[in-house]
Amino acid sequence: MEKKITWNDMKTKFPDEWLLITDFDLDQSGHLVAGVVERHSRKKDDVYQLPALNKPTAFRYTGESTFSGLRDHAREHNIL
Amino acid sequence: MQENITSYDTTKHHIHIDMIVTNPKGIIYNVAGILDTGAPRTEFSDQFLVHSGFIETKSEQVKLKPGLQTQKYGKIILPSVTICHHQINFFEVFVSHFEPSWGIDALVGLDFFRRFRVTIDYSNGILLTRQIGKG
Repeated sequence: MEKKITWNDMKTKFPDEWLLITDFDLDQSGHLVAGVVERHSRKKDDVYQLPALNKPTAFRYTGESTFSGLRDHAREHNIL
Repeated sequence: MQENITSYDTTKHHIHIDMIVTNPKGIIYNVAGILDTGAPRTEFSDQFLVHSGFIETKSEQVKLKPGLQTQKYGKIILPSVTICHHQINFFEVFVSHFEPSWGIDALVGLDFFRRFRVTIDYSNGILLTRQIGKG
């Protein structure tokens, strides 16, 4: 059985990976602070593949998000 | 009426929040999302919706078009979503293809801002949210 570790430890142990986490703890704002990493992979599909675990599950990515919202759209149209 | 306080990380480029989605079997899912005033309606990734049992398969035909950040291709009603401690029942959202590198499974769009007064206290890294029309 995997051990419960903190979110900071998850980021150190599994850099730039997707995680499927169970037995998780949240802070008052709903942010994940600890849990058991059941699956991890750099490929999102590997982590989200079925079957589901039939118990409370959290998904997180330990890398930096590349989401840039409307900025990409603006760049595309030479607005920025 | 209750005003909820939700902290967020001001070192990130967007306001990242975590939310709870409950599927029809009562299984709780905690997923990461971003507040996005550029999204007319809240969107969830098809990968998450397949895993959690809301849709059977994701479309393999969907590819991102240049200039677009997401590719919406369906709608679904989620029985229970909790955002910033506010539980929203029967929330209609878009099913979208998300790029894995975004690191999220949801974009919280203007439909949330229409229902809730959202105050961003940036210097303190908190969101103050209150349901509109209730006190």
